[in-house]
Amino acid sequence: MTHPSELISAYLDGELIGDETSELLSHLGTCGRCSADLEEMQSVRTAVRSLPVLELPAGLVPEADAVVVPIHRNRGVWVGAAAAVVALVIAIASIVTPPPASISVDDLSSRFGARASLDPAFSPAKVVVPVLGEPSE
Amino acid sequence: MVESIPLTWEEVARVYGRKIYNFAYRLTGNADDAHDLVQEVLLRVRRGLANYQPGSFEGWLWRITRNAFLDEIRKRKRRPTTPLPDEIDRWDAATSDPADVEYARITLGDDIQKALLELPIEFREAVVLCDVVGLSYEEIAQAASVPIGTVRSRIHRGRKMMRELLT
Repeated sequence: MTHPSELISAYLDGELIGDETSELLSHLGTCGRCSADLEEMQSVRTAVRSLPVLELPAGLVPEADAVVVPIHRNRGVWVGAAAAVVALVIAIASIVTPPPASISVDDLSSRFGARASLDPAFSPAKVVVPVLGEPSE
Repeated sequence: MVESIPLTWEEVARVYGRKIYNFAYRLTGNADDAHDLVQEVLLRVRRGLANYQPGSFEGWLWRITRNAFLDEIRKRKRRPTTPLPDEIDRWDAATSDPADVEYARITLGDDIQKALLELPIEFREAVVLCDVVGLSYEEIAQAASVPIGTVRSRIHRGRKMMRELLT
């Protein structure tokens, strides 16, 4: 007797096609071994599906946001050097430039981009995350 | 049917982040590796979205995810295997007494997780994509770049191996 054992898991997953279902059910009616296999596969499938769903660790997405992605990885050294220069210029500029008198919507979007990405209720607006090395506009 | 495609990597992170993390955790068996893998996947998504061609977004995303996992496996091939950590115990320890922690350790799938880690990578990936992530066989086939018949075989053989490991 040929045992269509590989049909068993597909049957449990609703992935049988054509007359495979009737073929399997007909076989199960006469084969104790495959009927036992069906029960065991069902229990394994249920066990894996009942694994607890793990929540994302706090900060995982914002941390990914903070990572600078090189645009051309084969130019990594030069991009890295350019990034360091840009970062230095920004740092100096932030020291010598007085704080803005008011906060624009763009500033808010930039500041709270990470939160907006995690909390859809926070803002319906698209958040533009500047990437070092790309044109900002 | 027009497929709704996330336009930014932040949206991908928000919509799929938890699924990717669970996939990563069940494949790697520990939180640190899962954390790193999620970051790597999101970086690849961020780079890849610019060149994304309309099609099966899920297939594209999970292909990126599995490739990131396989690349990490290749990188670590010569490193010693890290034993399964007791993450569940640690997470529960903050809010539960020792008896509850032990109960949780047994009932929340530690033995199932260990059995998953015993499976060959191809079987583990297929079972996790099916039973943890909830992809169809067709979506798994797209992600793994294999025929659906191969997916069917891998899932069934993976479950059979797990049955042996759990008895």
